Amino acid sequence: MTDRASTYVLWIVVLAAVGLVCTVGIVWGELTGHHRLGGALIGVILLAYSFILLCLRKGGFTSV
Amino acid sequence: MPELADRPQPATGRRGPKIVGFLCDWAVASEGVVRDDGTMRDLPNVTLIKIPCSGFTRPAWLEFALRNGADGVFVCGCPLGDCFNRYGNNLIGDRVEQLRRRLERQKVNPERIGALFYGKHAGAAFVDAVRAFSERVAGMPGPAFPARKPAPATTGQGPAASTPGPAPQGGQSGAPAGREGT
Amino acid sequence: MYKRLLAGLLAVTLRLDTLIARVYPDDFNPLYYTGGLSNLFLTVLVLSGIFLFLYYTPSFDQAYTSVQFLTADVPYGQIIRGIHRYSADGFMIVILLHLFRNWFTERFRFSRDEPWISGMMLLTLTGFIGVTGYMLVWDQRSEALVAMTANAAAQVPLVGGWLRHALFGGAGLTDLLLPRLLFLHIGPAVGLYVFLLWHYTRIRHPKVWPPAVWTLFALGFVVLLTGLVPVTSQAPAVVAQRPQTLAVDWLFLTPYWAMRFLPPLVLIALAVVLIGYGLYIPYQLPETRSELGLKDSGVAQVIDANCTGCELCYYDCPYNAIVMVPSPSPGVTKAAQARKLRAVILESRCVECGICVGACPFEALELPRLLQKDIHERVLTACQS
Repeated sequence: MTDRASTYVLWIVVLAAVGLVCTVGIVWGELTGHHRLGGALIGVILLAYSFILLCLRKGGFTSV
Repeated sequence: MPELADRPQPATGRRGPKIVGFLCDWAVASEGVVRDDGTMRDLPNVTLIKIPCSGFTRPAWLEFALRNGADGVFVCGCPLGDCFNRYGNNLIGDRVEQLRRRLERQKVNPERIGALFYGKHAGAAFVDAVRAFSERVAGMPGPAFPARKPAPATTGQGPAASTPGPAPQGGQSGAPAGREGT
Repeated sequence: MYKRLLAGLLAVTLRLDTLIARVYPDDFNPLYYTGGLSNLFLTVLVLSGIFLFLYYTPSFDQAYTSVQFLTADVPYGQIIRGIHRYSADGFMIVILLHLFRNWFTERFRFSRDEPWISGMMLLTLTGFIGVTGYMLVWDQRSEALVAMTANAAAQVPLVGGWLRHALFGGAGLTDLLLPRLLFLHIGPAVGLYVFLLWHYTRIRHPKVWPPAVWTLFALGFVVLLTGLVPVTSQAPAVVAQRPQTLAVDWLFLTPYWAMRFLPPLVLIALAVVLIGYGLYIPYQLPETRSELGLKDSGVAQVIDANCTGCELCYYDCPYNAIVMVPSPSPGVTKAAQARKLRAVILESRCVECGICVGACPFEALELPRLLQKDIHERVLTACQS
């Protein structure tokens, strides 16, 4: 694996971790009635996944 | 033998390889890049043919150029996704890929066929890419299509001699050579 | 003058593309997918709108409270409402990007005026739907908007009173107002799809969805914004008390802000001029191809003898300019003997791009002034020079 690709792998791992934390946050918000927080975290997850897709592409793991 | 003699020899040593490019009207602006006779200002061994859209190119024309003495051919369209006609450059990109695979089976180096994608104001980057393409083609040995007939004069390359089989059948397989792929 | 301006704007547009290309690969460039992004936002708007519709009550005493109930008490109601509001803003932004990009890259040329015209109508309709959406909430801003619109409509010469009646069901606030507004919000939204059908008619394989990266980004951004900046109503409307301030959504309510400075009639005239100019844009540069410095290759022609009815050109023509019709007789070549269909060119739709020529492996299509023979000649001269 090249240097470039491993940087992107690192970013993907970080973003996936962010997504996981947000999932926990959504569940917590659902249990305690913080729906607004849950909603915002859904947004964060979607944004994180968007950048994961970008990193996958730029790291050369997916093609066109 | 006369057929081989007619074919223009690649001028690798003299001016660089002979390259034919198809250039979309909407892609790189040709002012300052192309001279009146169609050759590129910086690379006189490259001739550009202006076409209304890169998708207009028939892959058979690329093969035609290679069979008639060009050492490399390429098509230049707009950046992928920004085609004036929406998908012309994606279409030709796919077709070039198919042509490469098809000609590779006929022992043609697929790197001789290129697809470039540069926008209207990306003239400098386009010239650099063509130069790189030209240099890559210059490094490849011999004409684009290996000699069809196992003629004694051109048996320098292994694969060329081995493909059509032994000499007696050479005449039969060599006759329809020009139409075989199309 | 206009030409030079357009050339400059094209240069700026393309430079923007190269800047974006530093981060995103070419096929992820969001500016190549403004149409798809519009469709994405429209879909989000329709889905969230259905949810809001289930809770909304169009009457003076319940409209405001039903929206408040939805926002405060329904789980994630606040989020859905915010998605509806912010997607509308996003819809307008990407529509304008779509408009400007296609304007500056001159994609209204040749036979592409119909997508442009239908696009202008979609834009006008979207502005109207946005304004009626702000009226439905029935807070003080809604009341101000209704009053200002009714006032402006009534001032139109000849048809003014009729127009006000058509929009709001009569002078003053009648009981019909909110049901009427609800229809004026949803009815034109359905109308958008009618115009979209026209918008797509001349387009083969329209890019109706952006790449997944941008779908996720747009949705995520809207939802995150909803959580961070929740959408709220102003104080409820009090009938017969004109509110003094107007919170402006710049994408939809700019004309109402401008009413502070200009009389309504001037604004209406301005809107008519702007929309009229928008419709005129494709005809402003009636240049032929040779005037543009392009080769005039002529409308593509089918060489009937060679046509096998394989439909490849039909699938690839970007403007739906090729139709397949039942073939009355077989073709001449061997491959064309068993054909059931043959290709026919709709000349009015053809932009002479020649993509069908590249699509045809049977040499059954040609551009009349740029034949395969010409290309072969040029290739041969190039190879022998």
